[in-house]
Amino acid sequence: MHPLLAATEFEWAPLLLGVLHVALVGAFFGLPAGIFIWAERKVSARIQDRLGPTRTGGRFGWLQSAADGAKLIQKEDLAPKAADQFLFKLAPYIVVVASFSAFMFLPFADGWAAVDSDVGLFMMLAMLSLEVIGVILAGWSSASKWALFGAIREAAQMVSYEIPMAICSLVPIVLLGTLNLNEIVQIQAGDWQGGFPPMFNWMIFHPVAGPAFICYFVCATASCKRAPFDLAEAESELVAGFLTEYSGMRWSFFFLAEYASMYAVSGIAAILFLGGWDDGLGIHSWLKNLGWGGALAANLFGAVVLMKKASVLVFLQIWVRWTLPRLRIDQVMTTCLKYLIPIACTLFLAAVVYPLILVSATGRPMILPLEATGERVGHPSANDRIWHGAEAETASLSEGDE
Amino acid sequence: MSDLVLHIALFVVAGTLIVMAPLLIGRLVRPSLPTPEKDAVYECGEPTIGSSFIQFDLRFYTVALLFIVFDVEVAFFFPWATLYGGSMQLADTQLSAEARAEVSSKLLNAAPGYPEGISAESALQLGQLAFFDILVFFGVLLVGFAYVWKRGDLEWIRAASNSSAARANPPPASPRANQSVATKPDPELVS
Repeated sequence: MHPLLAATEFEWAPLLLGVLHVALVGAFFGLPAGIFIWAERKVSARIQDRLGPTRTGGRFGWLQSAADGAKLIQKEDLAPKAADQFLFKLAPYIVVVASFSAFMFLPFADGWAAVDSDVGLFMMLAMLSLEVIGVILAGWSSASKWALFGAIREAAQMVSYEIPMAICSLVPIVLLGTLNLNEIVQIQAGDWQGGFPPMFNWMIFHPVAGPAFICYFVCATASCKRAPFDLAEAESELVAGFLTEYSGMRWSFFFLAEYASMYAVSGIAAILFLGGWDDGLGIHSWLKNLGWGGALAANLFGAVVLMKKASVLVFLQIWVRWTLPRLRIDQVMTTCLKYLIPIACTLFLAAVVYPLILVSATGRPMILPLEATGERVGHPSANDRIWHGAEAETASLSEGDE
Repeated sequence: MSDLVLHIALFVVAGTLIVMAPLLIGRLVRPSLPTPEKDAVYECGEPTIGSSFIQFDLRFYTVALLFIVFDVEVAFFFPWATLYGGSMQLADTQLSAEARAEVSSKLLNAAPGYPEGISAESALQLGQLAFFDILVFFGVLLVGFAYVWKRGDLEWIRAASNSSAARANPPPASPRANQSVATKPDPELVS
């Protein structure tokens, strides 16, 4: 075929694959959000002795969320006359698209990511941080003072907490040397080493990355504007903050995005610090080597493991929300600027110095006589593809020259 | 169109549909009975006073500026961290030959199975160089952060009346000097 024709021909296969990815990721975006809204009610009822959620909604209260949906869809769609109508309506789109797009890079199991990118973590954090634009737009365009105060607080809080969050997520990167989320988990996975289960390869058991996990989790909770950092809504001070003028379905999208980004940041935490889909006892690698269908079984098992880990972290966020009272804005900002940023910077420097000192002293970048992280290098899948892609491109170019 | 761009486009379209579909379905079932009261901006049941597009506190701008400086620097840490992490793994003297080739090819973005891996000594040298690089880079950032802290820009609650003086020079250490000026929280906007 003539090279010019080949170039203009539209390729259906990547598009169909992309649509399939979107559908699959969409299921894992909407479903957990629904489950966590249900769990939030149940957990809050148990923690604070609330009577309603333990009784209503049929078996296990599953009907309550469905009833809420049916109610929200029938609510009148209100926007104040003074509001900037276009921006007011645009805001929920930005919030949902930002938190949905972040899932593009999340590997649910070995290789099961919509986009296996070599800068996956970076892109995912960037996508998640776009959410704040929607929140500011929502508050600003509402033309309400409550909404404006909520949005400005939220902007200050979210951008401040992003700094220690990014620095803490750098700690495992410094130790593992890759930004590819898939490889990060592959490096943390391993086999039994002289009585040590592979669990000890997880970053959380690293003397520097362990504290970084706690710091990351605090910042992640704040960046999802969850209590005790939910200053943006702060119903006892600001009516409903940036959501004051929203109603019905439009209002509920902000919550969909909030629960989804809770799940996303917990997924990042599970991948960076808790070994991702690795179960820590060698079951995953045992399944993988089982032969026919073993890889698929291992991946299905791994996806369940990763979702369990992320769900436990989301449960922790819910638990914190219903246990701790809300902080004041000055406390929130002081916690970040005067405590979390210095702590994160110290941890980052420690993560940089730790392997350097150990290598200079002992010739090995670790203390425990475990398998070196370099030995457990991930499959060079993404690298492979880039290389072969480049090769194919040069090949086609030279063909074109002929 | 690369795989990434295609996926971003598809995810944006799908995210838009997630929001749009329920709103369009809702249009069929929800009422639309606007009244002047419903269309008014909520201000605790009172008629609204003035515009809400008011000037808000300058403190928020300080935070925004701090964020820009920090976040731009942190964005540069990410590529550096992958290089440093890779060189530290290669500096492991007991690394097996195939792992060394693998990590080296990844670090150099070369073909998989790059034959001659980077030796432990040169990896350590690379790591040391990268370490001093980041020390300078991070040091500049931390000096700036310390300056902002010392100037009192990280204090969320500041005295309103002496704030201009406090911005010009660091607040005096002795409590007696503060007594002359009445200390009260910013009345402009407590938010």
